[in-house]
Amino acid sequence: MLRFLLQRGGQALVAVFGVVTLVFFIQRLTGDPVLLLVPETATEQDIEAMRVSLGLDRPLGVQYVEFLFDMLRLDLGRSFVQNAQVWDILLSRIPQTLQLAAGALVVALLIGLPLGLIMALTRGRAISRAIMGLVLAFQSLPTFWSGIMMILVFGVWLKWLPPSGTGTLAHLVMPSIALGLLSLATYARIMRSAVIDELGKDYVRSARARGVTTGRLVRRHLLRNSSIPVISITALELSQLLAGAVIVETVFAWPGLGLLTVQSIASRDFMVVQAVVLLGAFVTIAANLAADILYTVVDPRVRLTGKA
Amino acid sequence: MRPLTGLLTGVAITVLALPAFARDVTIDLTGEPSSLDPHMQWNPDSYYVYRNIFDNVVTRDNDGAIVPQIATEWNYASETELVLTIRDGVTFHDGEPLTAEDVAFSVNRIIDPEFGSPQLGQFNQIEMAEVMEGNKVKLTTKGPYPALLAQLVKLSVVPQHIVEEVGKDAFNEAPVGSGPYSFEDWNRGVSVTLAKNDSYWGEDGPFDNAVFRAVPDAATRIANLQAGTADLVVGLDSDGAMQLAGNPAVKALSTPTERVAFMGMNLDKPPFSDPELRRAASLAIDSVAIAEGLLGAGEVPMAQLSSPAHFGYAPDIAPFEYDPEQAAEIVASKSEMAATPATFATAPVFDQRVVQALQQMLNDVGFNISISMTDMPTYLAAARAPDRAERPELNFGRWSCACQDADGIAYPLLHSGSSWSRVSNAELDALLEEARTSLDENVRLAAYEKVHQIVRDDYLVRPIYQAAVLYGARAELEFEPTANESMFLNRMSWSE
Repeated sequence: MLRFLLQRGGQALVAVFGVVTLVFFIQRLTGDPVLLLVPETATEQDIEAMRVSLGLDRPLGVQYVEFLFDMLRLDLGRSFVQNAQVWDILLSRIPQTLQLAAGALVVALLIGLPLGLIMALTRGRAISRAIMGLVLAFQSLPTFWSGIMMILVFGVWLKWLPPSGTGTLAHLVMPSIALGLLSLATYARIMRSAVIDELGKDYVRSARARGVTTGRLVRRHLLRNSSIPVISITALELSQLLAGAVIVETVFAWPGLGLLTVQSIASRDFMVVQAVVLLGAFVTIAANLAADILYTVVDPRVRLTGKA
Repeated sequence: MRPLTGLLTGVAITVLALPAFARDVTIDLTGEPSSLDPHMQWNPDSYYVYRNIFDNVVTRDNDGAIVPQIATEWNYASETELVLTIRDGVTFHDGEPLTAEDVAFSVNRIIDPEFGSPQLGQFNQIEMAEVMEGNKVKLTTKGPYPALLAQLVKLSVVPQHIVEEVGKDAFNEAPVGSGPYSFEDWNRGVSVTLAKNDSYWGEDGPFDNAVFRAVPDAATRIANLQAGTADLVVGLDSDGAMQLAGNPAVKALSTPTERVAFMGMNLDKPPFSDPELRRAASLAIDSVAIAEGLLGAGEVPMAQLSSPAHFGYAPDIAPFEYDPEQAAEIVASKSEMAATPATFATAPVFDQRVVQALQQMLNDVGFNISISMTDMPTYLAAARAPDRAERPELNFGRWSCACQDADGIAYPLLHSGSSWSRVSNAELDALLEEARTSLDENVRLAAYEKVHQIVRDDYLVRPIYQAAVLYGARAELEFEPTANESMFLNRMSWSE
């Protein structure tokens, strides 16, 4: 077990190092950030002065080593545009995104899993096909469209919910649904195929033969045995939610990391953009590591062989 | 009318009418301010907010004329020395008086290269500021600098005692100024709240509180306006204005700005090294269709690198002709050179509708233009590559110098010594330098008229239109948009 943890932890560290290096060099490859910081009418001297004041005139190798040490000390640097430590900016936004991601996960799990289960149990019947149609629609609607439609119907027309912004639980409703729709569809489909897989197995047939009711079968056997794919999907969905948050937060003016990313790109704040990319990568790596560890809890076979 | 209906209507009218006197205002911007320290960033989302917290050295009235604010008078002691008389009786929001020392401190702060202001390029002609007897401040410039007052419109006065005590970061988080509104609260990523300054020396504002919110999506801003949760929203296009048209509770407001859109041509390589082909390109472009048909938010076709909002605008420059048949004939007579593949460089920030329309118009008469869309740093690096022959054949720009002076656009685009320029013309250089260093307005106007005429005659750059800015507002909000895109709360009001 310890060997398994060390192995997976080591892999995660290598991935983190790779991401840090990639972010550093890609950012330098996309051009000179100084050109973005000065007004377009700036002269060569203005540009050179800005470059020196940011330390970007030094050799690339020196900058890279310094960047690695900064990362070791978890120092994300300073935003030249916002005049503040990047960490402080991130910390002010992280709770908002967590709130939204939690809201979306609640929507996706509470609606998606039961829908998947119903689809599996009613396979081949009209109700299953109807739910599948609905789920596909949820998956296909682009967020920037479904979000705006919700705002127009519930915010402008019916005036049930505030069109945008933050502060109350009512503000959280529409963004959570908009962000959760895609994950909801994924959960419903995964749950459906996992349950269908299990339904074909011998133990289910024997249980049925012994007269076990469907309700008991679902509670005692199917839910637990279908949970492995659901857990791995949750790790993937977390990064999906972070990515989707960019659009949802923009549409609903929700002040999380996604909106921060958009604003930072618009205001040419590359220190913040870089930090958000790094954070997103860390979260994805950490979520996958957590999923690996969770498998061992749910399925003891993973502990012994190292693979499911 | 039944009595109950009458009563309800009466109550409704009272309820609706009452808050109009001291109603707060909510303004939706595209993003939150980058900075509330007025000496740092100068992007619109920042200055919309901080220009209400601070007074500037001078300001522009709604007609665009430079009028006193903190400086009540100004006169030139010599060609390079401007003496400002500072207004008495102005106090900062903490109650301390605003003095000549604060003004000199503010100037010296922004021109200090160590301070690293992104606005440095707008003020680096100022060498220093000194306090003089009798509440006066003397500004010394590196040479005669006619655009100085136009630049001082943007220079906010900060309190020396607070900035020195708390430092740059803390001042940015809790700015203290002398303006009509004082800083209340900055909810990061969400909004900035300002409160009315009851002891303001000038005209005070009609709102007790003003909330500036960050709402990046234009459709959401329009929804907020229509739902009544916002009173004024920025950054609409003509489609957005049409959405507002059907609703009597809201209105669209627009004005031409000091941004001029142009198509730059590379004069150092074919096809646009040939003046006849440049003329053909110009004849192929329908400026009116682009400004009024395609954009339609109040844009005005332009035939010079300035606009009526600039000092140095020449009203007698003739509009460009639009004659695609003649353009096609010229191209046909030089078909080999005209068919040279040419790249139109652009970046996502520019309006791609315009770039695509230009490409189509040029290809329709026989040019061979393809669009190259890259990220902004790549675009900038290519468009100003040190070797001019490496630059793209065409690029699109929409420029403002935020100073409403022809110098701000014409000099960097046309002077042979500027990194943006593709022009090497000794006569133009001499005229641009003369206009940049003369304090005589008539000399400057005459020089710019000649500059605009040369650009027009030789098709050195192809100006297209003067950009417009479009706002959406509650029908009862009185607000007059200005060319410099200011948003002064104390110039707004609620109509009855």
